[in-house]
Amino acid sequence: MEKILNKALKTSERLNEFYIETSKIDFKNACVYLVEKKQALLRLMFAADEREIDNVFRIYSVFSVPGINKLYIIVLSLHEDDAEFPSITHLIPSAHWYEREINDMFGLTPNGHPDPRRLVLHDEFPAGVYPLRKDYRFKNGGWFKGQGERISSQESAMSDKKELAACPLPLAPYKFMQVEGEGIYEIPVGPVHAGIIEPGHFRFSAVGETIFFLEPRLFYTHKGTEKHFERLGFADGVKLAERVSGTSSFSHSSAYCMAVERMAGLEITENAQAIRTLLLELERLYNHIGDIGNICAGTGLAVGYAKGAVIKEQLMQLNERLAGSRYLRGVNTIGGVAKDILQHRDDILSAIEIITKDYKKLMKLLLGAISHVERLENTGRLSRDIALKLGATGITARASGINDDLRKSHPHLLYDRLEFEVHTMAKGDVFSRMMLRAEEAECSISMINTLLETSYRGDLAVKVNNIPECSSALGYTESPRGSVFYWVMSDKNGMPLRVKLRSPSFCNWPVVPFAVHGNIVPDFPLCNKSFNLSYSGCDM
Amino acid sequence: MKISPEEVLQFTGLQKKIDKIFSRSLRIRQVDAGSCNACEWECTALTNPVYDIQRFGIDFVASPRHADLLLVTGPVSRQMEFALKKTYLAAPEPKLVIACGDCALDGGIYKGSYAITNGVASIVPVDAYIPGCPPAPAQIINGLMELLKKICG
Repeated sequence: MEKILNKALKTSERLNEFYIETSKIDFKNACVYLVEKKQALLRLMFAADEREIDNVFRIYSVFSVPGINKLYIIVLSLHEDDAEFPSITHLIPSAHWYEREINDMFGLTPNGHPDPRRLVLHDEFPAGVYPLRKDYRFKNGGWFKGQGERISSQESAMSDKKELAACPLPLAPYKFMQVEGEGIYEIPVGPVHAGIIEPGHFRFSAVGETIFFLEPRLFYTHKGTEKHFERLGFADGVKLAERVSGTSSFSHSSAYCMAVERMAGLEITENAQAIRTLLLELERLYNHIGDIGNICAGTGLAVGYAKGAVIKEQLMQLNERLAGSRYLRGVNTIGGVAKDILQHRDDILSAIEIITKDYKKLMKLLLGAISHVERLENTGRLSRDIALKLGATGITARASGINDDLRKSHPHLLYDRLEFEVHTMAKGDVFSRMMLRAEEAECSISMINTLLETSYRGDLAVKVNNIPECSSALGYTESPRGSVFYWVMSDKNGMPLRVKLRSPSFCNWPVVPFAVHGNIVPDFPLCNKSFNLSYSGCDM
Repeated sequence: MKISPEEVLQFTGLQKKIDKIFSRSLRIRQVDAGSCNACEWECTALTNPVYDIQRFGIDFVASPRHADLLLVTGPVSRQMEFALKKTYLAAPEPKLVIACGDCALDGGIYKGSYAITNGVASIVPVDAYIPGCPPAPAQIINGLMELLKKICG
């Protein structure tokens, strides 16, 4: 570490966050040193417009080194008239989407990036519009910069609501990567798919039935969430965090609350910690069992799908009895929780007991169905190397042999008191991902039972005083899909200056093309289901 | 799920209406126009053995060209506006549109964001709304019934 610290312009430490500010020349070296010499994982990378504080943009890249409960954050300041930074993608491939996102949203250019196309913003957004810069505003159907300089209008045919039938094609078609060769043909799919799923576009290059190359184009559900956090204020931000990705509502709101609480120096009570831990595990349980059932839909095993859906429904109804929301919304608040979930102890225990029995029967059924298992084995294989290089997280990473779980590596809430192990598998196929979900579901059941054995001290929530100005902090949880990170910063008035969120799907989407290469097109839905990716969480 | 006798009668009413208007089948094409995916999961739950919406002759179909009804969720992100219009145009007449969920109504919590339009009605004509964030499966069934009530008076 000395090597980086000697060259640092400034360092600061708070809780387990270690900020190291570097010069432009040392930025790349510091990041590469952490990854190559310390086997660090790039957790997230983002920019913030801090011009109203000290007239610079900042780029933050957050790393964690295995075995150390510390987050190393390499910081680079950029002036508006020198809005370029050295790209680290060719040395740390997991930075690829982050850098493109920074370019789209802030107009800070990653110099030397191998793929400079726009990522988040499609053709509906005119060139030269950087939504996350503070001086850009969208008003009356057009974009404005600074004091009122109109830079573009949205008077295109796209917004002509009356002339539905005219509906012309977008002016500049997106440049998909092209595969040429004898017998290769393209299959375009989406953004509106056959099933009840979220929108995204997939461009398959296939040879016969076999997928040779796949390029997904996402971000159709981009809702400007990060900017919207700035408008809502810290308290209402919880509601927005709950609506970033439907089935990870509780993980998102917990990570967001944790970030704001750490920034404000709040310590939540043991009671609130226990409730959050319990609900995080309940969320994991309904997701994992639902996913195992859904994988059956990918192989056409109707009975498995139906049974999985019934168990999931029982868990959703339990959620509703506990929280008043099937998606566990409305429980988290900044400073703790709003509902005393632990008073439903008996209900939870008896529901979990029934569910455990049904779930064990389901797994026995699935593993006994040879035709089902045969479809899962060796399908959608993701190598450890690709998973590591592209920064995969959650089940996706662990099924490919990467031992990474935030509950262990950066213990939060009551996870350091609970006994559990990080399960991994080696093969990285659909079967591994299913079995890993099964193991983790059992683990969650035992954690829930353990959590309900004791009682906890303290009120549900502590009082929130004013949010300190110009401070920042990270919050994180391990959601059913993988690690969720929030980074929040307040401005001079105690309002959010920047809320960065990084969902697990943002890391896991880029690995899908590698996992489906060489598989047949009809197995794509199966592979996709085994990853259980969120579009909305990724697109934000 | 426990259903009271009154509710059973309501469901029978729904069945009769579908029989009358759509010759015993109502086919829905679900379109996600930028939702957080909670609404989609509730729609998926409609087909599970607990709610089993198929017993009413209602089912989800793969293409707008097979659909009587579009069930649209989400605040309609600007990047989905075009796809939603195209999907609407692809559905045959007579067609119905339901905006499902608080976001679909007027943008919901996302109202005011630069990347969304203000709900489904600002893009395509809407026949009925189902409120909720997300609406529970039973609420979606109720919403379908309300729409059918509106049509046959």
